[in-house]
Amino acid sequence: MNTAVGRLARAELKLMTRDPLVLTFVFAFPVVTMLIIGGAFGTTPDRAFDFTNPSHWYVASYLTVVIAATGLVMLPVHLASYRERGVLRRFAAAGFPRWSFAIAQLIVGLVTTAVACVFLLAVAAPVYGIPAVHDGWRVVAALSLGAIAFVSIGVLLGSLLPSARAAQAVGLLIFFPSFLLGAGGPPPPVMGSVVRKIADPLPLTLLTNAVREPWLGLGPATGSLIAVAALAVVATVIAARRTAL
Amino acid sequence: MSNTQVVTVRGLRKAYQGRVVVDGVDLDVPAGEIIGLIGANGAGKTTTVECVQGLRRPDAGTLRVLGYDPVTQAEELRPLIGSQLQDSALPDRLRVAEAVTLFSTVRAVDGGELLERFGLSQLRRSAFSALSGGERQRLFLVLALLNRPRLVILDELTQGLDPAARRNVWASVRQLHDEGTTVLLVTHEMDEAEALCGQVVVMRTGRVVDAGTPADLVDRYAQTATIHFTLPDPPAPLLDELRRLDGVHRVERAGPRVTVYGSRLIIAHVGAALVRWDTVPGDLSVHIPSLEDALLQLLNKRPPAGTPAVAEMDLTGGRR
Repeated sequence: MNTAVGRLARAELKLMTRDPLVLTFVFAFPVVTMLIIGGAFGTTPDRAFDFTNPSHWYVASYLTVVIAATGLVMLPVHLASYRERGVLRRFAAAGFPRWSFAIAQLIVGLVTTAVACVFLLAVAAPVYGIPAVHDGWRVVAALSLGAIAFVSIGVLLGSLLPSARAAQAVGLLIFFPSFLLGAGGPPPPVMGSVVRKIADPLPLTLLTNAVREPWLGLGPATGSLIAVAALAVVATVIAARRTAL
Repeated sequence: MSNTQVVTVRGLRKAYQGRVVVDGVDLDVPAGEIIGLIGANGAGKTTTVECVQGLRRPDAGTLRVLGYDPVTQAEELRPLIGSQLQDSALPDRLRVAEAVTLFSTVRAVDGGELLERFGLSQLRRSAFSALSGGERQRLFLVLALLNRPRLVILDELTQGLDPAARRNVWASVRQLHDEGTTVLLVTHEMDEAEALCGQVVVMRTGRVVDAGTPADLVDRYAQTATIHFTLPDPPAPLLDELRRLDGVHRVERAGPRVTVYGSRLIIAHVGAALVRWDTVPGDLSVHIPSLEDALLQLLNKRPPAGTPAVAEMDLTGGRR
């Protein structure tokens, strides 16, 4: 595949494997924190976890941490650094088509997310086991739409923030509260009402609900799924417009 | 637009946040020529070529490049241009050979051959961040030439190169010219413009102020040659004779040190006079005006009366 998108996507995927930020935040961080948090609450079903096994609750939640790390940490820094250093201008001057970079970033973000999710499940399987998936289609739909939404948010942040340092600061500032309130922190029933009011509308909370509830058989989470789908559409359209070469 | 023109620009104007950086520039680049765009920093050279490449949208003016409009047909145009941009980079961890693969389209020549030609074969596996300034510039040149461009735009081509590397790059640009490629060279290195360009266009504060061959510009704006020599006790009749020589503007003496100013003619006349007086000094030195002297003069004052209007010139017009 010698199209511009193919060449860009191949090069970018190679570069991702050499980026310590990607290896740390997208691959190592979700796995390490899942092992710690999953172990901290044990395996006995608990009311705070909707009477499910807490370890399974976190296994089903942490795939979205991978997605958020890709979208909120990896991509903004990557793109802002490209823009700051004139890499995008060079691509434009070399005749890469207008949408090629945006499409390549979407491919790279989705592939990175998929590989990191498989890695996370491969680590979780022998330690906590992988919980049975009750509604596979909904889970796959939520993960796919969520990945598109967060990759697009990442691309958007990278195109808006003035420098790689700013992108890193803002990305981490959004990522950690989202992570603690929406995916990898305490379960919603133990949160105070104010904290829950803040947590509930966060994109990562919506995505985690849309994945975890059909996975563990807690409900269809249709509202969350629709919200994630809407976010994916809006973020993708804006991000594509912002990253046209 | 003539068929022999690769680039035709008329009335180009561009402002950033109300500050006009290009103000009514006209520019013609004939096919197969090396044209230099010269001037001080901030003259509007880079913005002009960015508009030519379709990287910036002009506020006013018409542009035609290789038969395309860079504003509305940038996607068709850009693959036909090879460019080495000022202030741009590649991803830090991208290796040299990977960069060649990334930028190679179906029109590409053998990237390995280009790497060899520019002395980068040994660095195929080196990451961009590990390259020196000169190696990066040479890699950019490789990428600019990779896809058989019909027009090559080189912006501050030899910035940061050591003298030997500069000569190598110049030789490559001359080779491009020999192969019939049109080159638009943006530089503020006057020796580079003098060495490479058949014609140069001088910009100042967003406008074209003059154009011509480097020799034309030197003749027009920097005619004064200077001769220095030392004689222990310069005889007054010799100094009087020097003052009367054809082309001499003035003669200055400071102790044993004598300086003669005038047109280039004085080089031969002063030398002959010194031989006649049998007083050939061992430290005689001659400063011949260069394009840099011409540019300094040009940027500091208006062209003398009688200079052909820029718009009438073969290469470019554009004073508005």
